[in-house]
Amino acid sequence: MQPTSLEFAVQPTSGVPIYRQLMDQIRALVASGRLKPGDRLPSVRQMAADLQVNMMTVSKAYAKLESDGLLERERGLGMRVPVGASHEGTATTMAPVGERQQELRPFAEELATRAWQLNLTDDQALAVVRSVLKGRKS
Amino acid sequence: MTDPVISTSHLKKSFGSKTVLQDVDLNVPAGAVVGLVGTNGSGKSTLIKCLLGLLKKTSGSISLFGEDPWNLSASAKSRLGYVPQIVKLYPWMKVKHIVAYTSAYYDAWDPAWAETLLDRWELPRDHRIGPMSPGQLQKLALVLALSYRPELLVLDEPVASLDPVARREFLSSLLEICQHEQHTVLFSTHITSDLERVASHLAILKGGRIVLFDELDAVKDRVKRLRITAANDLPANFAVRGALRSEFSHNRAMVAVGDLDDRLVGELEEKWHADVAVEDLNLEEIFLELHHE
Repeated sequence: MQPTSLEFAVQPTSGVPIYRQLMDQIRALVASGRLKPGDRLPSVRQMAADLQVNMMTVSKAYAKLESDGLLERERGLGMRVPVGASHEGTATTMAPVGERQQELRPFAEELATRAWQLNLTDDQALAVVRSVLKGRKS
Repeated sequence: MTDPVISTSHLKKSFGSKTVLQDVDLNVPAGAVVGLVGTNGSGKSTLIKCLLGLLKKTSGSISLFGEDPWNLSASAKSRLGYVPQIVKLYPWMKVKHIVAYTSAYYDAWDPAWAETLLDRWELPRDHRIGPMSPGQLQKLALVLALSYRPELLVLDEPVASLDPVARREFLSSLLEICQHEQHTVLFSTHITSDLERVASHLAILKGGRIVLFDELDAVKDRVKRLRITAANDLPANFAVRGALRSEFSHNRAMVAVGDLDDRLVGELEEKWHADVAVEDLNLEEIFLELHHE
């Protein structure tokens, strides 16, 4: 997958700094194998323009992931997931499903609360989730 | 490291017996986008005017591009853009006239960029300035200040009169400028959500002093709220080091800290046999915590 900025979403008004939000999302994409060795990330400029954030924010996230070894800088081409290097998160060492589900849990809890407030049945709430998931695939 | 673009030390400004700024130390590095926030009357506009040499300081020192702003050279002025809170432009001129007039003062004027900005903010070239609304005037003043891509852009409440659409347009233009060259921006605002997207640094002015100046990310990483649930009731003298604010009753406490370090949580857990939950705070919450009386 060559991800575009559309694969990312940041909440500027969150208490979590934007660069950390980006790092978390890139980590998740790599850990899940969605991003494979050799896949390139959008340029700093592109990402900053699309997400409407400061370029420094994006380059900080990239630089930190680079020093963590999760990304590597390709001269003139930007950032990519390292090829061949066996590190935490490549397809072969993909994080187990259970761990990735655990990551999703807080979002599900939020969803469950809101579904309850709206007095939706489990099936009705799940139908919304399914339709959103389906929308992403097409 | 290059020299800071703006640097003050022990800056003080009084009007008669009323002291508005006190002991202000501020160093703005080149390339920073600094959001200056403070409540009404905290001294934001006065600080900006002192930095630009529009008001004379009472004591202390200020340097702007390494010069004294009160005696700024013409070349320094040409590298500086400023949009005041209340925009005054010649009312008899039309938009196209003020653009042509202003462009003559700046060697670095970029006519194509000026046209792009006029289009983006829907400012018709043939409209006269006199009957324009405050929001339109502010947009026009921003076009004039952005068109020569100044090295330092100083904006006093740039989005105060803008509607949400224009505010977004303004923010993306600001981001666009910051992308191309090493530009430094200082803008005052009390709309913290705008600041969170664009600012690299945060300066909080309170009672005429800079009470906080740091990278925005560092501020969000450090300023946290702790929810403490202790095994037993907390004593009347319960206190947490570095607390900005604390509230407690019985065995529960809520404490905002300005500089969370790894040790603090462990210390609290041990001392009070407590569960400590750390909450992230956004800028608005941080601002409120710092102003809690």
